[in-house]
Amino acid sequence: MSRKKKESKNEEKLLEELKAALGPQVEEAYIKRPRRIHLKVKPGAHRKAIEYMRDNWDLWHVSTITGVDLGENIEVIFHLWSFKEPQTAIMVRTMVPKANPKLETITDILPSSNFYEREVHDLLGVVFEGHPNLERIILPEDWPKGIYPLRKDWQPAQQGEE
Amino acid sequence: MGLLSRLIKWARIKSPWILHLNTGGCNACDIEVLATLMPRFDVERFGIILMGSPRHADVLVCTGPITKQMKPRFRKLYEQVPDPKFVMAVGNCACTGGVFKGCYGIEGGIDTAIPVDIYVPGCPPKPEAIIDGVAKLLAKLQNL
Amino acid sequence: MSRNIIPIGPQHPALHEPEHFQIIVEGETVVDVKPRIGYVHRGIEKALENRTYIQGAFLVERVCGICSNAHQCTFMMAAEEAGGIEVSEKAQFIRTIVAELERIHSHLLWLGAAGLEIGFETLFMYVWRDREVVMDLLEAISGNRVNYAMNILGGVRRDISPELADKIRKGLDYLEERTNYYKKLCLEESTIHKRTEDIGVLDPVTGVKLGAVGPTIRASGVKFDVRKNDPHLKYDEADFELITWDTCDTFGRVVVRVLETIESIKIIRWCLDHMPKKGDIMPEKLIRRVPEGEAYSRFEAQRGELVYYLKSNGTDKPYRVKIRTPTMANILSLAEILKGCYIADVPIALASIDPCFSCEDRVTFVDIEKGKTWTWTREELRKYSREFNEREKRW
Repeated sequence: MSRKKKESKNEEKLLEELKAALGPQVEEAYIKRPRRIHLKVKPGAHRKAIEYMRDNWDLWHVSTITGVDLGENIEVIFHLWSFKEPQTAIMVRTMVPKANPKLETITDILPSSNFYEREVHDLLGVVFEGHPNLERIILPEDWPKGIYPLRKDWQPAQQGEE
Repeated sequence: MGLLSRLIKWARIKSPWILHLNTGGCNACDIEVLATLMPRFDVERFGIILMGSPRHADVLVCTGPITKQMKPRFRKLYEQVPDPKFVMAVGNCACTGGVFKGCYGIEGGIDTAIPVDIYVPGCPPKPEAIIDGVAKLLAKLQNL
Repeated sequence: MSRNIIPIGPQHPALHEPEHFQIIVEGETVVDVKPRIGYVHRGIEKALENRTYIQGAFLVERVCGICSNAHQCTFMMAAEEAGGIEVSEKAQFIRTIVAELERIHSHLLWLGAAGLEIGFETLFMYVWRDREVVMDLLEAISGNRVNYAMNILGGVRRDISPELADKIRKGLDYLEERTNYYKKLCLEESTIHKRTEDIGVLDPVTGVKLGAVGPTIRASGVKFDVRKNDPHLKYDEADFELITWDTCDTFGRVVVRVLETIESIKIIRWCLDHMPKKGDIMPEKLIRRVPEGEAYSRFEAQRGELVYYLKSNGTDKPYRVKIRTPTMANILSLAEILKGCYIADVPIALASIDPCFSCEDRVTFVDIEKGKTWTWTREELRKYSREFNEREKRW
């Protein structure tokens, strides 16, 4: 079997296993193109999905965590990379309401997510419950609390800049 | 002007020691500043040495836009450099904020924090342009 | 009980710049390191939402001056994938050539800087002199030594003529000769061995768990190279090796980078031989809007895996751009790398992950036994390191 065919077979296998393990908590699951698996889950189910991949597919690498302000909700996307089998990127995404943006941490499952969660917290205000130290990481020390620059309702001009 | 002052002035012009500061740029200007010290351009033959401590410097070569976080620290560093001191702003970001103007983390160019003597524009300026800036600064020193 | 805070100083990944370290020592040995980042947070991700793709392309290049083409390429790849925009064959080849030339320039720059850290200033001067050949080639292709602005949505802006291709080949011949000399130097010169062997050890299991990328993890034997694992541009066809080394220390990182430079030369030669002589390099009409979509693009930048997530909404401005630079991924591993080092080895161990330091960074030491705290500049640390090594006769 050629490498590409083997990879795509393994990608499909991973996706089927995740759907089976998570059941009704999966909202969307598809392979967009080779090496890009998309998985949308209900909040809280992301931990189960990530833990499953770590335990069954030896997946440890978090590439990054993105937060996207979608108006009413904030979408949190965990970008994972599996460099054993299958060599693919998996994007586990979930939505939290902007009014109460709380999500459980994954630092106990995958330690490399530590700084990325702090960054999303700093810039978008998502609180990762259970994070060992959810402190300021990249904004200046004197940046006012409660102002999240990557939210759509904040623009630099409001700070009195150009 | 007394003999001692003339001697000091001669020493300053013949061998200005520089301190290179990056206040948060992309490092492109920094590698071009370092390239001027390398064998191809070799400003060390003009007596220019890169120093590590602000207390030993005559000229502050600054790159990068000033971020809000860096501004008070930058002023402190400037005050540590003994008089007379000269400041060279290298690169568009150091001159005016450059491509980052309007970003929320940025104050602006170097002159929002400290007075600047020479502006060398470019993104990044070529080592030849930086050497030209140094030569103009030395000419300015001559006329003091 | 030692505290675990590591202030990180200058880097120039997307949002972070100066680094500040708090290194906790017992006598001469480092027991813990605390990074703190955020000194140069410029707000680039927000700025990209308020600028068009064309303006954004120029801004994104200046996230990091040394990896500028890597950033621009990844940004363009993400926008093109989100919008379903095709890129011509010839443009892919040109992007690969510029990306690899930039890799050579960055690795040579690093080798010189590493030489400076271990007190081997002659190496610094030699390498940077040879690096000028790469700068000349890049200037001939793009018009600028740094920040090339080669990429646009759907292609590249400048072509490589057959005459230019010959010039590149000649430059590569010279670079190959010099890089083989540096390879021999690194493998045989006892100065480099004594200063880098068994220093800054990062075992592969910990490295992978902490998310290390690039030469940092490849020197621990882990086969993680986006060019091979997740091929983009022309890397799935080009003929080159994935370089790893198994000593897990700073010496391994030096060797990996030198060997990668040789592989980059091979890739560029392959591209020049196989690049179509005729063909469009950019779309007929300048593409301003990107249709609605999202994409996640990965690139093997000089320091490791560079990742962009882009969400487009059909307008001429992106809705969201997320940038994660490789040095950010390597920071957590830095604590492991520095543990067990002597203070005198901190400069080279720190430099071995190839962070983008400015000359501004400060290092604070905390001696928990004696209860002393002191702060050194980089220059003071380097000087101490040289004196320590002379005293201990480690050459």
